[in-house]
Amino acid sequence: MAIVELNKIRKVYDTKVAVEGLSLTIEPGTMFGLLGPNGSGKTSSIRMMIGMTVPDSGTVSLFGKPFDRASLHRIGYLPEERGLYKKMKVLDQLVFLGQLHGLSESTARSRALVWCERIQITEAIEKKTEELSKGMQQKIQFIASLLHEPELIIMDEPFSGLDPVNAELLQNTLIELRRAGKTVLFSTHRMDQVEKMCDSIGLISRGKLVMTGAMREVKSRYPRNRVQVVFSGDESFLGHEEVAEAKNYAGIAEIKLHHEAGAQMVLAAAIARGTVISRFEVKEPTLEEIFIEQVRASFGDEEARGIIDA
Amino acid sequence: MHNIWLIAKREYTERIKTKAFLIATILIPTLMGGGFFAVVSMAARTKTTSHIAVIAAQQQPAADLKQELENGKDSKMTVDILPASTPHAVLDREIAGKSLDGYLVITPATEEGARPTFDFTPKSSADIATSTAIQEALHTVLTREYLGEKGVSVSQTASLMSPVTLNIIGKHGEHGNSRTSFLVAYVLFFLMYMVVLLYGMNVARSIIEEKTSRVFEVLLATIKPDELLAGKILGVGAVGLTQVGIWMVVAGLLAARVGSASGIEISMTQIIFFIVYFVLGYALYSSVAAALGAMTNSEQELQQLNMFLMMPLFFCMLMLFPVINSPNSLLSRVVSQIPFCSPLLMDLRISISMPQPWEIALSIGLILVTIYAVLWVSSRIYRVGILMYGKKPNLPEILRWLKYS
Repeated sequence: MAIVELNKIRKVYDTKVAVEGLSLTIEPGTMFGLLGPNGSGKTSSIRMMIGMTVPDSGTVSLFGKPFDRASLHRIGYLPEERGLYKKMKVLDQLVFLGQLHGLSESTARSRALVWCERIQITEAIEKKTEELSKGMQQKIQFIASLLHEPELIIMDEPFSGLDPVNAELLQNTLIELRRAGKTVLFSTHRMDQVEKMCDSIGLISRGKLVMTGAMREVKSRYPRNRVQVVFSGDESFLGHEEVAEAKNYAGIAEIKLHHEAGAQMVLAAAIARGTVISRFEVKEPTLEEIFIEQVRASFGDEEARGIIDA
Repeated sequence: MHNIWLIAKREYTERIKTKAFLIATILIPTLMGGGFFAVVSMAARTKTTSHIAVIAAQQQPAADLKQELENGKDSKMTVDILPASTPHAVLDREIAGKSLDGYLVITPATEEGARPTFDFTPKSSADIATSTAIQEALHTVLTREYLGEKGVSVSQTASLMSPVTLNIIGKHGEHGNSRTSFLVAYVLFFLMYMVVLLYGMNVARSIIEEKTSRVFEVLLATIKPDELLAGKILGVGAVGLTQVGIWMVVAGLLAARVGSASGIEISMTQIIFFIVYFVLGYALYSSVAAALGAMTNSEQELQQLNMFLMMPLFFCMLMLFPVINSPNSLLSRVVSQIPFCSPLLMDLRISISMPQPWEIALSIGLILVTIYAVLWVSSRIYRVGILMYGKKPNLPEILRWLKYS
């Protein structure tokens, strides 16, 4: 049973098509990364996922059933644009938001205190929101979306604007939640985070799903045709017929091959010519490279340069 | 329902706790009470206290006039009687020196039976109070003198000149007081007018608050827009009712001490209908304010639209006098059925002269239907509007939004 299933959803705002025929499946207990350049329809898709807007056509299923507002209590949502009541005290705020998710006041209060401890912001509890830094407000809102122990956690750009220490703290928290059996979906521009954390990804560009699947599967679709060689001596192997492109930075060469299988031939040729190899590494394509390639393909090269900010 | 309650509770507790609430609760009645007191005491002092001189050749009627002006009903002036030989230039100098407010010259009539001539030179021709007082006093004095000459006794003259009392008989035969019921209706009208204006805008502002702070996105992930709007109206509304309640209780306590002396009585029916129409009118105007809040993204934009809230209230103000003059005319009956006016005007009619029961029932029904319709429309506008923020919607867009689910 898929925990989220979008079936050909489409949303048009006036004349702008925000999402076009998007289908997506998220399995329970996975960490799903939703990628895409700015304005590609990530937020619109997420809003339709939680019933904030209704798709013009297509269907949304949550927890194996057609969308129903009752299931919203099983979802924790962190919107892209953070918002808290400025004049309210942090603890009151968390209790209020917890209650809206169906918790009793006392449960909300005790869980809020536990979470503040866990995310290391106990000193903020008695303060008003407007007295806090932006990063701290973000942590408060992060807690607010988790208080009711949701099975599905949806976070729009959860780490943007955080310093590396706090970003890592929240990343680790999400990883722990995923280990505890929760399903996590988050959107981001940061490929390194996705590569490190996610089991599956979906890439959206111009309102369409360009690519989706398990991380390994996605990567395996791309040829492992890049090699980095650290060497000394004869460099004539760089002219081997399997080499499509080679850059030599004084002893460190980056090679692009025609075929994956070519790596062994190039290595054999180098050794045969007496080159001393101190490192020979066949590299996986990074997600970033895949991302840029896919987005460019969807826009056309020229346009992409100005739009991608990955 | 639980969500509406939670939203309303948060709105209420957060607002009650603010200093602004405390200040408004204390300051507004203090200022208004102070203003009222000032007006009353000023009115008491409109008895003119001018210092004038009377130049007369004969003792009468100058002495009577002096008596009337110094101890009369509307005046407490100081009067000096001077002989006819007094040069006017001296008096002109005294006026310039501000020690005199004017002088009256009485020239005896040359023919028998004609009135003497009275020439008054005031310090300022704008001092109407003094000249009116002199004119009235002269009339009294001359009438009394004439009656005396005709042999009418002093006591007969006094009873002849005392004012007439007109008793207004109410429906049940008791002596009513039309001035009182008019006054009460007037006060209640303005109380409602003020609170609607004050708190209606607060509802709109509190709805904008979620938009500017972007809290709505978290809220809408669990609750529906109409729940949010209803909760806001109830919460902010309850704050207004609390404040008015506090004022009323204090006013009631004061009235219990002072009121019995003033003779102003408010009947139980008046109080009950006032509360019913107040709550309904308040709910109606709050939901209109909610719609305005839903349409706008900032306080500035709201300012431009708040005329939509004011216009029906101004219209009610215009209708106030026609309704008071003839509460059962066709015009009064029609305008008091308009939902935006009936909380004010129907209540006014009830205070002055009880309308038909079906008229009251119809007006309440119409208000309820309108509240529901306005809320329905504004929750649509809210939901679609906030998700397309950044641009002010125009009318065709708003109409299109109503069709969105």
